[in-house]
Amino acid sequence: MTFLIQQTLIYAVPLMIVALAGVFAERSGIINLALEGIMIFGAFAGVLFVNLTQQAGVFDAAKANDNYLALQGFMLLAMLVAAILGALFSLLLSFASVNLKADQTIGGTALNLMAPALVLFFIRIVANQNTLQMYTGDAASWFMIKKSMFGYGRNDDMGFFGSTFIDKTYLATYICIILFVVLSILLYKTRFGLRLRSCGENPQAADSLGINVYKMRYAGTTISGALAGMGGFVYALTTANCASTGEVAGFGFLALAVMIFGNWKPLNIAGAALLFGLFKCIAASYTSIDINGDGVFLLAQLGISPHIYRMLPYLVTLVVLAFTSKKSRAPKAEGIPYDKGKR
Amino acid sequence: MRTMEAENIIEMLHITKEFPGIIANDDITLQLRRGEIHALLGENGAGKSTLMSVLFGLYQPEAGEIRKNGQVVKINDPNDATALGIGMVHQHFQLIDVFTVLDNIILGAETTKFGFLQKKEARKKVEELSEKYGLKVDLDAKVEDITVGMQQRVEILKMLYRDNEILIFDEPTAVLTPQEIEELMATMKEFAKEGKSILFISHKLNEIMEVADRVTVLRKGKYVGTVNTCDTDKQSLSNMMVGRPVQLEVVKDEARPGETVLKVEHLSVPSHTHKKDAVHDVSFEARAGEILCIAGIDGNGQTELVYGLTGLEKCSGGTVTLCGHDISHATIRQRGENMSHIPEDRHKHGLVLDFTLEQNLVLQRFREPRFQHMGFIKPAAVREYADRLIEQYDVRSGQGPVTVARSMSGGNQQKAIIAREVDREKPLIVAVQPTRGLDVGAIEYIHSQLVAERDKGRAVLLVSLELDEVMSLSDRILVMYEGEIVGELDPKATTVQELGLYMAGAKRMTKEGEGA
Amino acid sequence: MKEKLSILWGKDGTKSVLASLISIVIGMAVGALIVVLVGLLNPSMGLGTMWEGVRLVFGGLFSTGRDAAGQLTFGFNPTNIGNMLFRATPLILTGLSVAVAYKTGLFNIGAPGQYLMGTAATLILALSIPTETVPAPLVWVIAFAGGSLAGAVWGCIPGLVKAFLNINEVLACIMTNWIAANLVTWMFDRGSLFENLQNTVENTKTAYIYKTSFNGVETSKMGLDLIFPNSQVNGGILIAIVIAILMYILMNKTTLGYELKACGANRHAARYAGISDKRNIVLSMAIAGALSGAAASLYYLAGNTEFFWSTYQSLPATGFNGIPVALLAVCNPIGVIFTGCFMSMLDIVGLQLTNLTAYNEYITDVIISIIVYLSAFSLVIKLAISGSHRKHRKAAEPAPVSTAPPDGGDGTPEKGGEQA
Repeated sequence: MTFLIQQTLIYAVPLMIVALAGVFAERSGIINLALEGIMIFGAFAGVLFVNLTQQAGVFDAAKANDNYLALQGFMLLAMLVAAILGALFSLLLSFASVNLKADQTIGGTALNLMAPALVLFFIRIVANQNTLQMYTGDAASWFMIKKSMFGYGRNDDMGFFGSTFIDKTYLATYICIILFVVLSILLYKTRFGLRLRSCGENPQAADSLGINVYKMRYAGTTISGALAGMGGFVYALTTANCASTGEVAGFGFLALAVMIFGNWKPLNIAGAALLFGLFKCIAASYTSIDINGDGVFLLAQLGISPHIYRMLPYLVTLVVLAFTSKKSRAPKAEGIPYDKGKR
Repeated sequence: MRTMEAENIIEMLHITKEFPGIIANDDITLQLRRGEIHALLGENGAGKSTLMSVLFGLYQPEAGEIRKNGQVVKINDPNDATALGIGMVHQHFQLIDVFTVLDNIILGAETTKFGFLQKKEARKKVEELSEKYGLKVDLDAKVEDITVGMQQRVEILKMLYRDNEILIFDEPTAVLTPQEIEELMATMKEFAKEGKSILFISHKLNEIMEVADRVTVLRKGKYVGTVNTCDTDKQSLSNMMVGRPVQLEVVKDEARPGETVLKVEHLSVPSHTHKKDAVHDVSFEARAGEILCIAGIDGNGQTELVYGLTGLEKCSGGTVTLCGHDISHATIRQRGENMSHIPEDRHKHGLVLDFTLEQNLVLQRFREPRFQHMGFIKPAAVREYADRLIEQYDVRSGQGPVTVARSMSGGNQQKAIIAREVDREKPLIVAVQPTRGLDVGAIEYIHSQLVAERDKGRAVLLVSLELDEVMSLSDRILVMYEGEIVGELDPKATTVQELGLYMAGAKRMTKEGEGA
Repeated sequence: MKEKLSILWGKDGTKSVLASLISIVIGMAVGALIVVLVGLLNPSMGLGTMWEGVRLVFGGLFSTGRDAAGQLTFGFNPTNIGNMLFRATPLILTGLSVAVAYKTGLFNIGAPGQYLMGTAATLILALSIPTETVPAPLVWVIAFAGGSLAGAVWGCIPGLVKAFLNINEVLACIMTNWIAANLVTWMFDRGSLFENLQNTVENTKTAYIYKTSFNGVETSKMGLDLIFPNSQVNGGILIAIVIAILMYILMNKTTLGYELKACGANRHAARYAGISDKRNIVLSMAIAGALSGAAASLYYLAGNTEFFWSTYQSLPATGFNGIPVALLAVCNPIGVIFTGCFMSMLDIVGLQLTNLTAYNEYITDVIISIIVYLSAFSLVIKLAISGSHRKHRKAAEPAPVSTAPPDGGDGTPEKGGEQA
C-alpha cells in the first residue's frame, strides 16, 4: 500500500503541475500543445545543471558530510533552472501565437519536435551517447528524503504516515503540491487571475476594459512554460533517476488530457491527476505492486500481458475523454489569435 | 466663442480613420454638449461605430483631434478613455459569459489588497448604484444565465461603477422589447438630467426623435450635418441618412395564401445551454403565397426553431410536414429538396468564406448531374451557372465568380446567398434575419425579392428581430416567447405596443387561439 | 513580359512557394548557426570541423566523402540521390496523409501510429503468405493493400471520436499513437502470435523482424537502380508520385474533394448545405490513415529494410515528419512530392554529418522543427511578401485612394463595415 501510494504520487504530481501549466496557458487563450516539448526541455535543463554542478564539485562537501539541507537546496535550484529554461523555451510559442498570430496547434507541434531534437543533439555532443545522467551517484542517494535524516535508525518504524509520506520521498513532490495550491489561489482570488481568465474567455471585452490581452497571454504562457519545465525535471528526477533522454513518453499529452478531464479547474485536475497517476503507476510497476501487503503481487499474477498495463493510461485517456468531452467547457477564446485591429 | 467651448464637453474635430481599402471616417466633426443626449445617426457601415471606437481609444485616427472641455487629449486605449470619464455600452455586449455579474462589473477596475480582490466594497457600491437608478441585476448570477435586458443593465452599471460622465450607447435598443426600450430611454433622460452627457448611436428614427436633443448624421463615412430634433422630422432625417428619398414602407399587394406548405405540430427542440427545451410544443402552418413572420426578442427559441425545421438540430418531439411529406427525421439534404434556407449567420452557415463565389453558389447543387459527371465536377457548367446568378441578382465582387467569398462586402455576400437560395426554386423559403447589418439599399432589394417570391406562390417563413421589418413585410405574425408561440397577430390590425407586450411575455393567447 | 511576371508574382501560389522557400532558408541557416555555435563552444572541434559541418548542412546531398588528404569532396553522388528518393517515398505519403487531413480541417498527428499499424500488417502479410503457393507479386499487392487498410482503420479511430464525441483529434491521435506502439510490440513480442517473424537468421541483431525479401517479396526496382547504382531506390518512389497526383485530382476535381474541403473550411456551412460533416471527418481520417499505412508498406516492402519491433517507447519519426512535409507544401499534393524529397535530403545530410564529422544527425531534426515553427506563421510571411510587393508598386505608380469600396458594391468591405 505504501509503495502504491508513493508511486502513484510520483506520477500524479508532475501530471498535476503540468496540467496546471496547461490551465494557465489556455485560460489566457493560448492552446499549449507544447507541454510535452517543454517538459523534455525542462528535464534536460535540470539534469544538465545537476550534472555540470556536480562536475564542478560544488556540492561534494555537502554530500560527504550528509548535509541534507544543502542537497535539498541543490535540488530546488535545479528545479528553478528547469522552470526558467522552460519559461524561456515557451516564449517561442507566445511569440508565434501572440505577436505573429500563428496557428497554435502547429506552433506547439513545432516545439514538440524541436525540444527532443535540440536535446538529443546536445546530449550526443555533451555525453557522446543518447542519455544524459548525473555526473556521480544517483537521484536517490543525493536527493531523496530518508528516515535517517530525522534520526531514525535503519530498523526503526516511522509509522504508516511517516513511511508513506516522508521516508523515501522527494521534497520536489511537496513543493509541487504547494505550488499547485498557491497558483490555484492566484488564478481565482487575485486581480491578475481574474484578468487572465477574462482574456481566455472574451479578449475583446478584456481589451475594451483596458486589459492588455497580449501581456496577459504572454504571462499565462510563460507561467505555463515554467511549470511544465519544472514538471519535466521533477518527472525525470523521480521516475527516471534524474536522467534526460529526449522524451517523456507522452506525459505532456497525458497532462493535457488530465486538464480537459478536469474541466480546466484545479480541484478537478488534482483528482484527475491522481487517477491517471494510479494508472501510470500500474503501467510502470505492476510487477511490484503489493496492494494489501500480503506478499502477493496480484496484478502480476493475473496473467495479463504487460503490454496491456502499458497501454492502459492511453486507453483510459481515450475512454475518459469520450465520456467527458461533451460536458467539458474549454475557455471560449482559446486557440483564436487576438488581433487588436480586427474587432 | 469661450462660452461655446465650455459648453462642449467632448469635441471630435476632423477625425479621419482609414482601413485597408476604405476610409471609414472622412473628416468627421462631432460636438457633444454637457448634459445633452446627442444621437449619432447613420446606416450600417456609415462609420458610427468606428467613430465611437476612436473616442473610446480602440482605434487611433489618422487625422483630427479630440478635445475634452476644450483641452486636446490623446486617447490611446480604453484606460485613457476611462480616465477621462468616457464609458461605452457596446453593440455586442463586452461581457464574460462564465463570470458573475459582479466580476464583470469590477473587471478592469478592481479594488485589491496585496493583489487580492476585495469584492465586499465593490458589491456595496454596485448595490447602491443599482438601487439609485433602478437597474435591477443579480450580482451573483453568471452572465450566461441572465436575460439580454439584464446584460445591458450590467453594461450600464459597468460605466456607472467607473464614475463615467460621458456615456456612449452603441445601438442599445436592437435587443430590447418596446417596453424595455422605454425604460432605457427614461434611464438615459435621468442621466442627462444629472449632468451626464450621452452619445446615442442608432439608425432608428423613432427612438432618436423621442430621446435625443440633437442629431449628427453620417453617410458612407462622411459628415452630413447636425440638427436639433425639434427642428426636423423623420422623413428629412432619413433623407439625410440615405442621401435620397427613402420608401419607408414596403410596397406589396394583398397576400393570396394558397395551400399549406409547411405544417409544424407540437415541435420541441432541446437547448444546449439549459436543461429546458429551447423550443417547446410549437404548432403552426405556413401557406403558399404568404410571408409568415416569427417575431420575438433574440434568444427566445427562434434560432432553435429554424434549426429544428431545417435539420441542423435534432428535434426532441413533434412532427414537421413539408409539402405533404413527414420530414421530422429527414436529413438536411432530404429537407433541402423542398426548402431553401437563408441562414441567420452568413459567416457560420451561409458561406464557406475561403471558397470562391462560384463554389459557394453550388454549395447544395454540386451533386446534381448538371454540375458533375461520375463524381468529377464540371467546371464549365459551374462557371456558366455562377455567371448567370451573378448577372441576374447583381452580386458585385472584385473578380467575379472566382472571387474568394471572404473578400466580398457583407451586402454582396448576403446577395449571393439570396441568389443561391431563391434560384433553387423551392416551395418554402426560410429566411432568418435576412437584412441584418445591411444598408438601406440592400434591405430594400432583399425585401422586394422576398415579396416577389411570395407572389410566385412560395411560402416564406421570415424570422426577424426588427419590429419595423416584422410590421411592414409580413402577412401574418407569430410571436415567440421562451420557446413557445404566445400569439398570432395580423400586422394590419395590431400595433407595435401590442406586439411588444407579447414579445415580453406580458400577454399571451390561449392555446385555442393559435393557428386559427 | 514584365506584366506577366507581375501577375505571377501576385498569385497566391507564388507567395506560398516563396514563403516555403524562406522558411527553408531560415531553417537551414539556424541549423548552420547552431553548428557554428557548438563549434565555437566546444574546444575539441575547432574551426575546421565547424566549417565542414556548415558545408555539409547545405550540401550534404552532394557529398562524396573525403579524399586521400582528408578533405571533404563534393560532386554528383548517385548513391545519395538514389537513397534520397528511397527515403522520400514514405515521407511523401505521410506528408500526403497530413495534407489531406489538414485540407479537411483536421490535424493528423496520428501518422506515426497509422504508420506503425501499416508496418505490422504489411510485414505479417508479406512474411506469412507462402510464396511457394502464392506468386510473390500478388503477395506484394496483398501486403500493400493490407498495410494501407490497417492504417485506414487506425486513422478512423480519431476520426470517429472527433465526429461523434467531439474529442480534439490531436489528443485522440496522440493516444492512438501510443496504443499502436504498444500493440505492435505486443504482436511481435516473445510468446505472442507473430513471434515467429522475429529475425533469428542474422543472430547479430535482436528485436528485428525479417526483411520481406526473406519471403521473396520486394518492390520492383523498375530500372531505377541502373540510374542510381549502389542505392536503395526502387519503384516505390514512382508509386508515391502517382498516388500524389491521384490525391491532387481527388481533392481538386471531384465532388468528394469538394465535400472534404467544404467540411475543412467551414464545418457548419457544409452541414447547412446537407453535406454530412461526420461522414467526411471519418472519411478524411481514413484516407489519411491509408496513406500513412501505404507509406509504411512501401518502405518495408523494399526488401532491404528491417523493422525494430520493440517500439513501445518511441514513435517512428517518419510519421511526425509528414507534418513538415505537408506544411511546407502548403498541403498541396503536388508540392508534397518536392517537399518530401527535401526532407529526405535533410536525412541524408544528417547521415553525412554523423559519418564524416563530430556532429550528429539530430541537427537535421532541429532544422525540421524550425521549419515547422516557421510554417505556423507562414501567413505572416506571405503577408510580408505581398506587403513589400505592394510598397514596391506604390512607389512606381501611386495607387489612387478612393472612398468607395473597391468592388463598387453597396456596402463596405467586411473588415471596415461591421466593427463592434
